[in-house]
Amino acid sequence: MKYSLILISLLYMTACAAQEKKAVPEITHIPPVNKAETIAVPNNTTINVTYKDDKKSKMCPAKMQHPMPKQKKDVLSIHEPLIISVVGQGVAPVNTTSPAQAYALAKRAATADAYRLIAEKVKGVKVDGQDLIKNMMVKRSTVRTSVQAMVRNANIVETTFKDGLCEVEMEITLSHSDFAQ
Amino acid sequence: MRSRDGNHSFTLRLCTIILLSSLALNAGEYLISYKYIVKNNVLFNESLDISKSMQKCKGIPAQTLILPATKQKNFIQLVSHHYNEFIDYIHRLSLDIRSKDTTTNNQINSTTIIILKTTCFKVDFNDNFVKISHLKQPYN
Repeated sequence: MKYSLILISLLYMTACAAQEKKAVPEITHIPPVNKAETIAVPNNTTINVTYKDDKKSKMCPAKMQHPMPKQKKDVLSIHEPLIISVVGQGVAPVNTTSPAQAYALAKRAATADAYRLIAEKVKGVKVDGQDLIKNMMVKRSTVRTSVQAMVRNANIVETTFKDGLCEVEMEITLSHSDFAQ
Repeated sequence: MRSRDGNHSFTLRLCTIILLSSLALNAGEYLISYKYIVKNNVLFNESLDISKSMQKCKGIPAQTLILPATKQKNFIQLVSHHYNEFIDYIHRLSLDIRSKDTTTNNQINSTTIIILKTTCFKVDFNDNFVKISHLKQPYN
């Protein structure tokens, strides 16, 4: 009787040890550092996968979530005005009569682009997307973005014109009093 | 009442009235609207509309542009003569921006419209310069 009890207890201990071994997940495949792999998909499409060089990749997935680096946000405060700077680009039309006209027209286009960029930064962009899928294939993919804003007191800082491309650097100073109600 | 120096004060008053009325006659109010369209980063259309105001505008003169006077006291001719300076002045006022981008199958079409809504400007013609002031609408 005593021997049977000892045997049962030994069997129980070995069973527990086996269960613990199963519970600890083994990372069987650790991706090599900076190695690119090509995965072949049945319908002749290839997906290139590149693994990042991360020492923490050997760690448990739950422990890999490291905190995001703190980003400095541009926040408008009472004491400090916020300066927003953008560079707009414009191209001259093909049928221009002189280089001066080309410059003037390209500058106008670049100014409009700079205004749009300022509006995008200050007010934000409305984004709308639509995908049409037919027979498991993307037939049409459309993304619409729109901006609508009123901009005042924007200044042109610098204008450059090179190889038919005009670049306008524009700046706007936002102060707290402009938005205070 | 007749003064001791004769009609001196009366003449002075009359001259002042004539001067003020002539200045008032030279000053005018104009309604201006401006719009330009840029398609795919190329200027597509630009229009500047100027019209003399039929009735008196309400508002306070805010931002001023001073241009050298020309022989003709015609505002439209003056603006066409100093077109770039005037457009730069307009850009400093509040402009409405409407932009739409459409990306279809990785092909982008962008349209940006910049608008100056019809705004009243006060124009003062002087001997050597012309003063253009944007009339700012008073808040309700």
